[in-house]
Amino acid sequence: MVSHEDVIQIARLAKLSVKEDELEAMTKEMQSIVDFADAINNAPTDGEEFDNINNLSNVFREDVVVESYPTEKILENAGDKADDCFLVKKRCL
Amino acid sequence: MRYELVAGLETHVELSTKTKIFCGCTTEFGGSPNTHCCPICIGLPGTLPKLNKEVVRYAIRAGLATNCEISRISKMDRKNYCYPDLSKAYQISQYDKPLCKNGYIELSNGRRIRLNRIHIEEDAGKLIHQKGDTYVDYNRGGVPLIEIVTEPDFRSVDEVREYVEKLQLIMRYIGVSDCKMQEGSMRCDVNISVRPEGQKEFGTRTEIKNMNSIAFMAKAIEYEQERQIDIIESGGSVQQETLRYDDVTNTTSSMRGKEDANDYRYFRDPDLVTINVTDQEVEELEATIPELPDEKLERYVEKLGIPEADAQLLVKYRRVAEYFEKASEGTANPRTAANFIIGQIFRTIENESAKEEFDIPVSAESLRELIKLLDSKKIRMNLAKSTLDKMLETGKKVSDLISEKDMGGLDEEATKKLCQEAVDANPNAVADYKGGKEKAIKAIVGYVMKNSRGKADAMKAEEIIKQIIQ
Repeated sequence: MVSHEDVIQIARLAKLSVKEDELEAMTKEMQSIVDFADAINNAPTDGEEFDNINNLSNVFREDVVVESYPTEKILENAGDKADDCFLVKKRCL
Repeated sequence: MRYELVAGLETHVELSTKTKIFCGCTTEFGGSPNTHCCPICIGLPGTLPKLNKEVVRYAIRAGLATNCEISRISKMDRKNYCYPDLSKAYQISQYDKPLCKNGYIELSNGRRIRLNRIHIEEDAGKLIHQKGDTYVDYNRGGVPLIEIVTEPDFRSVDEVREYVEKLQLIMRYIGVSDCKMQEGSMRCDVNISVRPEGQKEFGTRTEIKNMNSIAFMAKAIEYEQERQIDIIESGGSVQQETLRYDDVTNTTSSMRGKEDANDYRYFRDPDLVTINVTDQEVEELEATIPELPDEKLERYVEKLGIPEADAQLLVKYRRVAEYFEKASEGTANPRTAANFIIGQIFRTIENESAKEEFDIPVSAESLRELIKLLDSKKIRMNLAKSTLDKMLETGKKVSDLISEKDMGGLDEEATKKLCQEAVDANPNAVADYKGGKEKAIKAIVGYVMKNSRGKADAMKAEEIIKQIIQ
């Protein structure tokens, strides 16, 4: 069972704040997500190790250099930037 | 009471593939900030990572060279944590199915340091902290790493040091990494605890993160060991925590305690499919593993008759070992090449990293040519030595420095003539010698050697000079 403490802990790890009055609803929602995952976990697979639906494995790329993006493009969506770097203000950390 | 150190190591080694682990950006070191990046390695939503085949091959080779079992089925997992060095808020790593496991590295005292696992993962970006703000450069983000995790098998700082040096050397020999600690391509985290000698149970451990020099690491372990013993001796108990080592003050300080211990919530990365490795692939990779340092050392000592201390100096640098093998090939005694390298060539090389590069003006073939002249007694050792010095200085070949007429020793007649000349030219030295200063004769012999361009036999010359003087 998902507890209030689990929700608070997960929110803390994700650096999200949860208000006291949201806690109960969030706990229920999270429980339903866990239940859904459990349903998948409990699906009968006849003991066969189930990997992925397409039975894909070994999808590789060759070790060949491709041109990188221009720095302006890389930084285009950055909230803050300076000196060609992403800038993280102290309060965020 | 006496205490025993118990330590385990996690070593991150950057693989020297051309491209990053999940995209085609270059892995080149340095570069202006954020110039080796693309949407995949800065972790933008909607991008699809694709595993670099070479990373798998390099990691398997690393495993084979350290006696690991290679997993036939392996997968990638997400290690979740929120910190700006990883923009996705998770690192793609391997959790319960690492590529390699159950290996070991044997130390010179015969103890085996067991390797729990070697797994592949992506490196994080570089953070530059300035005036309270943090600048993020993702050039390093996505560079392939292997993490080599030992069991808590170390019992002394010396064992840790030897292990790291050995690991570094093996990785360099198989060419999967340059393992430059100062550039961060090899970094170590150490888990440390102490226990009273004879006790079976482990003490509470602390972890020191991200050490990038063997010397600092040794100091940090020594410091932390003492700190823990002091706590226990004064009746306290060691707290489980993660520490940072300050190489300026030589102290450790807490980064985070047990209550903030990371909770990584690993889960399978759904973007990346299973890695299947076949027996045939493992065999093929096994065949690419060259002779490793330990085997080389044994062969140099046992088969080539090189003294162990010298052999160790030769195998310590991959390029030096290669050079030695080439230069001594087909010569009468491999010790000659070893002596030239250790005695003369090393003297012209300033530091460890230059020895690592071993970029010297004399090719192995040229040195071999010189040794063969010695072998066939066409030149004498002192001429060979001075010629090698000139070769190192000028980069010229043997044939440019020694002509046909220099070859072949001086015959007795010519030696006598030169000795007479030498006696005539050094009246003071002759007087000194006659006055009882035995050593004065060396100056006269030196004159002969110089004027014969090293061709004369020094002992013979001394004999003749004594005859002339008396």
